[in-house]
Amino acid sequence: MMKKIPPHIDDQLLDYLDGALSEQEKEKIEFMIRNDQALANRLEELRSIDRSMQQLTLEHPSKNFTQVVMHKLDQYPLRSGLTTRNGIILLAGVLVTTIIATLLISAGVFDGKSTTIDLNQIELTGKYISRPLPSIPFNGKMILNVIIMLNLALGFLVLDRAILKPYFQRRMQAGH
Amino acid sequence: MTNDPEFTLIDRILAGEREAYAHLVDRHKSFAYTIAFKVLQNRPEAEEAAQDAFIKAFHYLSGFNRQAKFSTWLYRIVFNTAISYKRKNKQQFQSIENTILEYSQEGDGMLEKTDKKKYLNMALSRLNETDRTAVSLFYLEEFSLDEIADIMKMQANTIKVRIHRARQRLADELKNILHQEALTL
Repeated sequence: MMKKIPPHIDDQLLDYLDGALSEQEKEKIEFMIRNDQALANRLEELRSIDRSMQQLTLEHPSKNFTQVVMHKLDQYPLRSGLTTRNGIILLAGVLVTTIIATLLISAGVFDGKSTTIDLNQIELTGKYISRPLPSIPFNGKMILNVIIMLNLALGFLVLDRAILKPYFQRRMQAGH
Repeated sequence: MTNDPEFTLIDRILAGEREAYAHLVDRHKSFAYTIAFKVLQNRPEAEEAAQDAFIKAFHYLSGFNRQAKFSTWLYRIVFNTAISYKRKNKQQFQSIENTILEYSQEGDGMLEKTDKKKYLNMALSRLNETDRTAVSLFYLEEFSLDEIADIMKMQANTIKVRIHRARQRLADELKNILHQEALTL
């Protein structure tokens, strides 16, 4: 059975090949290699990989690589994170949510829904905070208004990224 | 700030001389393609990823802050693009071309049993894409460890360790491959 070489010795063998050891470390590892056949074999394996890898050459792309790149320069972005189809679906979702929220508010569903959150009820306050904390008023109607505003902002963003921007880019390219 | 001779060319491109970009592409296409190929191990896909990276680089050129060499910045884009191709197209890109390529390599293998390069490539293909790219960049000797770390967005120490591990793993894999080959003879 082959003797297992400890990882730190394996690392030292690579440093030895790279000439990255001090004179003292070099003498020490050379002594070990002389007295351990498994270590000498491992050094040969690593040296062989080193020699082969040193002959590694660059790969070459197709001959018309540059022409293709130059031709495609106007096609950016090549892949939008949001496709038109997904954008339309997302936009529809945003609109439906906004309409439902607006209908609920106008129907007065959240008119009486208000409460206060008492931070002093949280156990942590007694343990770590000695001073009493204020109560936070919680108004359902206000929260829903904020959600509607955020939805509208998101809707405009999606409309711009997924529909308007690609549309005008296509028109500009068609005009060239 | 680095005084890269390519900055003059970049200034010309940014001033509207778009055709000058072809010089940059010509100069860096082989290295960019090699990086993409080391990550993707598929020629058509590597070509597409490298082209995509050059197009991105052109559009982001005004944002290049010239703190590093242009090549380091460009190859980082190539590496990131290739990695994202790898993630996106894992299942999709089993092209016919690739199948033919693999088949012909297998066929040639009968004639070149002793070809070290073939076994080295087999061993390299058993590494993960990050280790394979790091160790290839190291041996291509174009960049320092710091620059390789910059391209791959990692700490220089992490890259050093990864390259060490990759070399050791390559030695192990090559030994295994040769052992298996010897058994089949």
